[in-house]
Amino acid sequence: MNATAPPPSARLLGGRIPYVEGPLKVTGRAEYTDDIQRPGMLVGRVLRAPWPHARLVALDVSRARALPGVYAVLTGEKYPTPFGVLPITHDETAIAVGKSRYIGDIIAAVAAQDERTAEAALALIRAEVEPLPEYSDPRMGVQPVAEPIHARGLNGSNIQKEVLQHFGDVDAAFAGAAHTARVRGTFAGVTHAFTEPLVTIAESTPDGRLTVWSATQVPHYLHRALAEVLGIPMHRIRVVKPEVGGGFGGKSDPLPHEIVCAALAIETGRPVKVLFDREDVFYTNHGRHPTQNDVKIALDRDGNIVAYDIEALIDGGAWSSFGTVTTYYNGVLSMGPYRVPNFRYKGRRVYTTKPPSGAMRAHGGTNLRYSIELALDILAEETGVDPFDLRLRNALPPNSVTVNQFRITSTSFRECLEAVRAKSGWAEKFRRLPYGRGIGLGCGFYISGSNSPIHFTPKMPQSTVHLKVDMDGGIAVHSMQADIGQGSNTLLAAIVAEVVGVDLERVHVQRVDSDVSPIDLGSYSSRVTFMMGNAAKAAAESLLVPLLEAAAQLLGTTPDRVAVGHERYYRRDAPEQGVTFLEALHGAMETRGALTASGNYRSPSMGGSFKGARAGTAPAYSFAAYVAELAVDVETGEYKVEKIWAAFDCGRALNRLAVEGQIQGSIHMGLGQVMGESMNYRGARLFNPSLLEYKIPMPQQMPDVEILLVGKDDPEGPFGAKEAGEGPLIATLPAVGNALYDAIGVRFTELPITPDRVLRGLDLRAKEGRPWKGH
Amino acid sequence: MHLDPFALHRPTSVDETVRLAGSLAGRFDYLAGGTDLLPNYKMHLNLRPNLIALEDVGELRGHGAGRFGAMERLAELDDDPAIRAEYPVLADAVGEVATPLVRASGTVGGNLLVETRCFFFNQSYFWRESLGFCLKADGDRCHVVPQKEKCYATFSGDLAPALMALDAEVEVAGPAGRSRRPLEALYDAAGDGIRRVHLAPGELLVAVHVPAASRGLHGRYKKLRVRPSYDFPELGVAVAGRWDGDRVASLRLAVGGVEPHPRRFDALTEPLVGSALSDDRLRALADEVMRQLRPVHNTFLLPDYRKRMIGVYVRRAVDEARRGSAS
Repeated sequence: MNATAPPPSARLLGGRIPYVEGPLKVTGRAEYTDDIQRPGMLVGRVLRAPWPHARLVALDVSRARALPGVYAVLTGEKYPTPFGVLPITHDETAIAVGKSRYIGDIIAAVAAQDERTAEAALALIRAEVEPLPEYSDPRMGVQPVAEPIHARGLNGSNIQKEVLQHFGDVDAAFAGAAHTARVRGTFAGVTHAFTEPLVTIAESTPDGRLTVWSATQVPHYLHRALAEVLGIPMHRIRVVKPEVGGGFGGKSDPLPHEIVCAALAIETGRPVKVLFDREDVFYTNHGRHPTQNDVKIALDRDGNIVAYDIEALIDGGAWSSFGTVTTYYNGVLSMGPYRVPNFRYKGRRVYTTKPPSGAMRAHGGTNLRYSIELALDILAEETGVDPFDLRLRNALPPNSVTVNQFRITSTSFRECLEAVRAKSGWAEKFRRLPYGRGIGLGCGFYISGSNSPIHFTPKMPQSTVHLKVDMDGGIAVHSMQADIGQGSNTLLAAIVAEVVGVDLERVHVQRVDSDVSPIDLGSYSSRVTFMMGNAAKAAAESLLVPLLEAAAQLLGTTPDRVAVGHERYYRRDAPEQGVTFLEALHGAMETRGALTASGNYRSPSMGGSFKGARAGTAPAYSFAAYVAELAVDVETGEYKVEKIWAAFDCGRALNRLAVEGQIQGSIHMGLGQVMGESMNYRGARLFNPSLLEYKIPMPQQMPDVEILLVGKDDPEGPFGAKEAGEGPLIATLPAVGNALYDAIGVRFTELPITPDRVLRGLDLRAKEGRPWKGH
Repeated sequence: MHLDPFALHRPTSVDETVRLAGSLAGRFDYLAGGTDLLPNYKMHLNLRPNLIALEDVGELRGHGAGRFGAMERLAELDDDPAIRAEYPVLADAVGEVATPLVRASGTVGGNLLVETRCFFFNQSYFWRESLGFCLKADGDRCHVVPQKEKCYATFSGDLAPALMALDAEVEVAGPAGRSRRPLEALYDAAGDGIRRVHLAPGELLVAVHVPAASRGLHGRYKKLRVRPSYDFPELGVAVAGRWDGDRVASLRLAVGGVEPHPRRFDALTEPLVGSALSDDRLRALADEVMRQLRPVHNTFLLPDYRKRMIGVYVRRAVDEARRGSAS
């Protein structure tokens, strides 16, 4: 593909487009899963294991079954087929079979006439169990253990996945290095905390079909998992995705409750709803992995990065989920935004008896990046070079290939650095602010759509979009892309409207429904704008062909001489001669009736041929450079991030309103992980499964954010666009970490950086007698 | 999580409430704002079959002339500029309670009598059952300080320290009629996280009275918590006083959020009256308050940190009150 300039009539793309579903959402009219009512609907509830790890010897459900108002009680044996988001690591079951693996694991389910009856039934279930060893720390699982959490653990250990990669000669590079730095980071687990809790409704009907409405980011993978576990062919299952109130990765796995809900519907013949409360959502988790990493970076005499040597120990929790991808990403996402000629990585993800971790916004990219950017800050200081200059010297150039064969096409990383350096007043502030005030730089790099789909059979495009327009002039758009609040419906509508040249209000994006929506792989890996956007553009261009033909006929010319205007097609050589969109449409319909069109996107083949070469390959990458300025109360350890300058390269921002919202939201989420959010475990027990004790930052903690969109058009992105949904999170963390060092001279390598840790850091610095800015 | 059914009673006078409370003794909770009680009920914490809703008891409403009705909503105080002018320490404390939405429901009496809190207590039935229940609900042992006698749940209201610093009294109605007692006597200093207040069966908190002498006292309430809204106090320090030039004319200090009941430190502040408060004496005061209070590991922040913050917060609260006095 070649660089694509927007059509000359560009009216929407590049501007600020309010969400098409906005009026419905703000007035409460938008339909979420919990809003759906079905006749005779039952309430489904799950029984959770209170033990960290236990063999299930016997479950007596007879009293629960006998309770009036109870329609079904399910245990694991009925649907024992394992599933999981990755085909290579199917280790989850809808309900525990044989043993339970964490406090909160589902061991039985009931469907009853109402909530109270369902809970009363759960209380009547008696379990006979044999306690098994608790493995709450991944370090306990790297050697063979008495009772592996899963039989598939590596050599009798709890290691779920081990990755070893080596490119170039890291030992030689370190031996010849002029400077080296090492950061050992410790990161608490964090979770998505999306607004809408997990909820599913399922209904099995006498026509032999099963319909499932679910709050999901990836309807297609849910569709596959339902078919596999329930043993029903996919064409008899219909998956519907209503509006979704946020996901951030937490609704991207097919989840056990979705299958449980469908199973209960089949069992009872009645519609069943499973609505989780917040504590259930915390136990379902699939959030960012608790991680320990060890990052070593070597520089040569001139300040060029010569090698990275990285290790990561990743706490997986009880299931695999996306974990194999996580294990790769915690290494390979270090391959930008800098040139790294030698690279070694050892990553291990270890099962623990805790709620499963999985994919969360900027999956695999944040913890690694925090340690790298701190190490670069250390190296800049040691070599007496400004942190910006060190990064500029090492920036990956456009159209290059990394040592592990990532294909880098567009990058405006250099422009990001230059813009944020100038805007933040860096030169006057860095190391010059008074004690307690600091400024710090952090950078980011992320995939714009995973190049490799999770499933390879059958071979098909990653995104397909269908359009239909009838004589009313409204354009119906079908696609399984999943709007979860990030604005993809709006983008889809805007692309179609832009290409066809009509008002946005003519374009109606249909609810995702597997019966009618062509497959798009869903909202994960920051793939939607790039992949669905290209598919939508192709579909709209195809729809335009008969419209331009009809217009040409009406105007007495040929289609190539007809231009697209606003609700109008006109002769290029005589712009005053034109026809309206409806005139062209009705002309085109004379011989064929309603018009339909289809477009799709398939990413180009890329990546090396070594094991794991596909991990981290993407048709494009986003880049970021952020500066944070903050003030520390050195007596209490409390600090306030006052300002963040966020320079981001998402190529061309197609909807600036949505892009800015994503950047602000990402900064908020990133600040959460830095400042206070943590899955607070004592042993295997989660102590804060509530939004009161899980410390998401409050609005008062948000800094002033200045967004600098400096990206140049990507050659393959739709209209030059790349992702802006996940990459903007990453740079937030190290910008704050490095600003804290500038403020008080302490390197914080354990997240979250809570006030007590700040004081501990200050105490330690005082004890070591290292003055900072005269204090 | 759902609410189990309960009988809801809606008395309209103090006398009717007292009679009702007497007849339901031990089988009811008062429903004041409900912002803490109802979440606790959803977690099945010490459910009672009856709730006596107080919102229709007119006498419990209103504030003015040093009287604060027990059912006065915190938002009413938040919105009243006279509170900021006359009782700055109280204005600080009210503004620090949870969020504006919670303050729209929450009441003065509800905040004074708010249930004590603990990481092992404020959890769902499932969570508590999986660990083994605790002394304060359904069990017979403490998980914070392992033993079977004493509960370490923390007093988590913001208004009590502020009102103690203002030398407030509470008005209580009961079968024997009305009585008044100092606010600190409402709390059971010899009790624990379970036995925490001195209110006889059938007694009802009617109002809080702040003496005229406390009007216009300079004051400050400083609250330690992870986030600047929502969170309960991990420490709350209230100071009110008057300065005559450099000389301390009066000074009271109270602390909540650390132990099962809020504490007033008259024995430490009274000796300071009549002379200038040097930095050294202020530091000594802060250190002594810190020494006397013992946080335990039952909230988000670690106890050694909370203890250290007692010293900082006391010093700053006094200093800021004093500077407020000078301005």
